[in-house]
Amino acid sequence: MKITFLELEDNYAKVLFENTTPYFVNAIRRTLISDVPKLAIENVTIYDNTSALFDEIIAHRLGMIPLPTHLDLLVFREECSCNGKGCPNCTVHYTLSKEGSCTVYSGDLRPEDAMWAVKDKNIPIVKLLKDQRLILEAEAQLGTGKQHAKWQAVCGIGYKYYPVIEIDSEKCNLCNECVEICPRKVLEIKKKKLDVKNVEECILCKSCEEVCKRDAIKVKGDENRIIMQYETDGSLSAKEVLMEALKILHKKYDELEKKL
Amino acid sequence: MIIPVRCFTCGKVLGSLFEEYKKRVYIEGENPKKVLDDLKIRRYCCRRTIISHPVFVKGKEVKEPIDEAAQYE
Ligand SMILES: [Zn+2]
Ligand SMILES: [Zn+2]
Repeated sequence: MKITFLELEDNYAKVLFENTTPYFVNAIRRTLISDVPKLAIENVTIYDNTSALFDEIIAHRLGMIPLPTHLDLLVFREECSCNGKGCPNCTVHYTLSKEGSCTVYSGDLRPEDAMWAVKDKNIPIVKLLKDQRLILEAEAQLGTGKQHAKWQAVCGIGYKYYPVIEIDSEKCNLCNECVEICPRKVLEIKKKKLDVKNVEECILCKSCEEVCKRDAIKVKGDENRIIMQYETDGSLSAKEVLMEALKILHKKYDELEKKL
Repeated sequence: MIIPVRCFTCGKVLGSLFEEYKKRVYIEGENPKKVLDDLKIRRYCCRRTIISHPVFVKGKEVKEPIDEAAQYE
């Protein structure tokens, strides 16, 4: 199997898998969604809240803020040597204290150590008017997407077969209808010949196939080449998250092999 | 209400992006499509969450429903 990053940003990746099968790529996808651990706020102690939002709404909003996750430094709380009481190996503490009038942002969460500081500092949590106050303490711990969506490191993940567009230039009469109907503008007419401009953009909708009266176009998906696309919420980078998923999958297959 | 932290459907973080969207679309009058593309909001679930969030434009100030609610608390 060959893996190539077609596009790679901090929080976004488009990956091409070659010589593979849909079952395998789907296993990776499901591991990414439900098994990769990340850090999120789980317990919130509110000391004072005179804002317009209820304590529960504020706690809920805090839970969804992506926190930087250093997986080598943390263990799951249930598996920790502290027996779930909470210690520096399994729990990260944050404090927040603000008085209006102002907007409370995610960047106002003060971590116990600078390395846990929230990267995305501009997420509004609540707005405070003059004399309104918000004072709280939050505990973050590791979890997986299986337990709750706030612990899901990736979002908008999906894959498609690699598009294969076959054009029969003998049948084609350059009517231009397929070029116009394509929602991704994949086709073009160049030097009196129908050509494919950017195959990877094709979403296999087959509108061009349907609109062609002379059957000159065939769109197929190659099951052995798969393009996967995903974003992360920023707690882990796009590359880290894929590496972690592959590690987890590897461990699972190992366990299965041992039990056989 | 206040802008959701994440997209209801896919979970992408939108809270931090809305600040810029608000400024560019409601104050500077840019085309929403262009701003959404610039912010790399690719899916239509996230796009609808942003464009359908209600705001009141009062001169140079863009207010959300929470700003109104806060006064009566
Ligand atoms: Zn512990
Ligand atoms: Zn979305």
